[in-house]
Amino acid sequence: MKTEYEVVYRTHNTYAENVREAFFSFLILPCENESQVVRNVTMTNSLDAEVFQHTNPFGFEVTNLYSVEPFTEFEFQMRAIVEKSVMPFPLEDTLPVEEEQRLLHDHSFYLENHLYLGFDHYTRIKEAYRPKLLMRQPNQGVYEYLQQLNNFIFDLLEFDPEPTHVCTSANEVLKLGRGVCQDYTHIFIGVARLNKIPCRYVSGYLNQGLELAGSAVMHAWAEAYIPGFGWQGFDPTNNLLADAHYLKAAHGSDYSDCSPIKGTLKTNGKQKTNYGVQVTPLQGAENIPQPVQTSVQA
Amino acid sequence: MDAAVRQNQTSEVFSNYQIPPTFLDEVFRAPGQVHPHYEAVYRQFLEFTKDEFKELNEHAKMSFFNQGITFSVYSDKAKGVERIFPFDLFPRIIPAAEWAKVEEGILQRCVAMNLFIQDIYSNQHILKDKVVPAELIFSSKNYLKAMLDIKPVGGIYNHISGTDLIKHSDGEYYVLEDNLRCPSGISYVLSNRVAMKRTLFQMFRQFNVQTVQEYPQELLATMQSVAPNGIDAPTCVVLTPGVYNSAYFEHAFLALTMGVPLVEGRDLYVDKNFVYMKTINGPKRVDVVYRRLDDDFLDPMAFKPDSMLGVPGIMAAYKKGNVNLINAPGTGFADDKAVYTYVPDIIKYYLQQEPILNNVHTYRCEKDDDFQYVLENMDKLVIKPVDESGGYGILIGSKASKEELSEFKNLVTENRRKYIAQPIMNLSMHATFIEGEDQFEPRHVDLRSFTLLGKDRQFVLKGGLSRVALKKGSLIVNSSQGGGSKDTWVMAEDGAGMSMKQSGSLEQSMTMNGETMTMGPQGMSMGTQGGIAEGKGI
Repeated sequence: MKTEYEVVYRTHNTYAENVREAFFSFLILPCENESQVVRNVTMTNSLDAEVFQHTNPFGFEVTNLYSVEPFTEFEFQMRAIVEKSVMPFPLEDTLPVEEEQRLLHDHSFYLENHLYLGFDHYTRIKEAYRPKLLMRQPNQGVYEYLQQLNNFIFDLLEFDPEPTHVCTSANEVLKLGRGVCQDYTHIFIGVARLNKIPCRYVSGYLNQGLELAGSAVMHAWAEAYIPGFGWQGFDPTNNLLADAHYLKAAHGSDYSDCSPIKGTLKTNGKQKTNYGVQVTPLQGAENIPQPVQTSVQA
Repeated sequence: MDAAVRQNQTSEVFSNYQIPPTFLDEVFRAPGQVHPHYEAVYRQFLEFTKDEFKELNEHAKMSFFNQGITFSVYSDKAKGVERIFPFDLFPRIIPAAEWAKVEEGILQRCVAMNLFIQDIYSNQHILKDKVVPAELIFSSKNYLKAMLDIKPVGGIYNHISGTDLIKHSDGEYYVLEDNLRCPSGISYVLSNRVAMKRTLFQMFRQFNVQTVQEYPQELLATMQSVAPNGIDAPTCVVLTPGVYNSAYFEHAFLALTMGVPLVEGRDLYVDKNFVYMKTINGPKRVDVVYRRLDDDFLDPMAFKPDSMLGVPGIMAAYKKGNVNLINAPGTGFADDKAVYTYVPDIIKYYLQQEPILNNVHTYRCEKDDDFQYVLENMDKLVIKPVDESGGYGILIGSKASKEELSEFKNLVTENRRKYIAQPIMNLSMHATFIEGEDQFEPRHVDLRSFTLLGKDRQFVLKGGLSRVALKKGSLIVNSSQGGGSKDTWVMAEDGAGMSMKQSGSLEQSMTMNGETMTMGPQGMSMGTQGGIAEGKGI
């Protein structure tokens, strides 16, 4: 079963003074994978600068542009059609607990996934916070644990865009007890990694119309590795599994690998940024099952 | 003046010389007796009076001042103060045979390090085989995921290495550090040689010393050898952070002596994944960048987003193979002082050879038993942070106060991965002219060597920078910590060297590399004394 979405990303920046030189990088294109096909990509910018691409260290396409024409206003828009197929969830076919743990502790498995097992600014969790977080029980399967973790973090934090910003670390969020999708995701990643489960940061788009938190802008969720199954998306902000409503753009170790826009500008004054996304189901949307709420099994 | 009288008078610059009892003296083997390779220089120095020596010393200092060879120190008190790098006139002499072994060892080490860096950023065989612990690499802040799967042209990462060596009291050379992140100091090597020639040319010309002035051309050839594919006449540049950098003089010096542009980040830009230089004639494509800018600042799109010193997009251009960067970003995990412990294993792993140069035994505070040992024996050890350079943040246990020791115990306990400890090494000592005392006294020295690796080419500079700890008893030789330097002479050939003598009244003969050229009333003749020498010509 397939669903088609039209995805539009648009940013509009205005500057108080002339920008004399600018370099922008966008990591916003929906990616292609086994559940996503991307077609009809168009990108426009108000400078009419020719864009150029490169792939980032995680294999995702970055769109760049360079301009020396002075400007005080900049608009960039990306439009694409994404064909999303429904992915299976790892329900019955998970491995026995010992087998899962043997794999997670395997040396070459660690080497292959080390970028998703380390701790850095965003994902390091202080010793002091650990006792109050949910860790995997000795006899618990990875998938079951991660569903509980998703639920746990959803309950732990209160959604609030006010106190945090793009540089907020997991420790700061734990102290505040509130944050946005990026913050929920970093904590999920940090805790999963403490349990030796490879976990990565995902940025992308969320089907609008379900009134989920984070759908008006680019959304963030986590993908964790379930031994014997593969990567599975978890959205702790909404307490959901990432399903056919989730359109992935990129993944990385944490936010620093996925920030949608980066730029270096030569200008003096202040700037204002206005950005938003539109995700419109085109056809087959009525067939998508309602999102699966992760439930806690006692 | 009669030579004997002169000698009596003048040896006063050496008369109070105390041969250090516990350290190796590179010059003297007994009071008034020098090692054979110092014999000729020592005899020459005895010719000078104390006042003459003072004058020569001033002359040499002026040579640096006039050339504008200065550096500045990053510390709280003396921020931004320009200093002249103290230069000592007594050259350090390394016999040809001794150097040959050192050079072989340095090259072996640099080649192995290059293979190591390449492996870490591609297949990670050495980690799979558990020769080096993976956590040690992954936890290094200089291990860059942006470098994973990048294949630099020519397969070279550490184009320029500055291996630091010391000579221990056992007479052996030990490697103290592998500096793989654009090491500095080469401009002093070249300027020291110039100052030496300007000050003591009459003496210098009598010795057959290996040259150093070819370094800039060797560096340029190294850069050209790793130019992007299909570029025949590559445009090379030196990228500097700017005039406020402590090594700005060197950046300018290298650009000038290589004959390439010196640029700052704002002079370059990236468009369509190619790097261009802004010139008055419009954009000019740049192919090879010798960047004297730390990885963090190189590209705000890939690393520190607020860097204004770098070039946005240059990492993407590099990944596409449209520009080459020297050294490659991310080499710093390999010269991390905790990884240093494993270098002998790294050499064996990649080259199937025994390491030629010794490693200093290193305690990694991360390991429990090492950590315990370090805490208990801190007063006998040197404690170093693993990722700093320039001698900052080091504690020498035997010289530290109780407060300093307890402060360091806390620092180490808080961040064990960050610190290593080494036994205090007995750096060799070398006669050095001490201003104020106006005589020669022994001072500790080390040696920074310079190695260039290019595509199918290798070059080790003959000699390097002999750094002197000018403070009495001090072991820290870094220029930023009150060190000075010496010209380092690697002899082209041991034994005969070159000498001139006038026999009789009409005949003059010159012996060079064992070949004697005689000029006299009978004309000119050339002959070899005792077989043909293999040393390189001058």
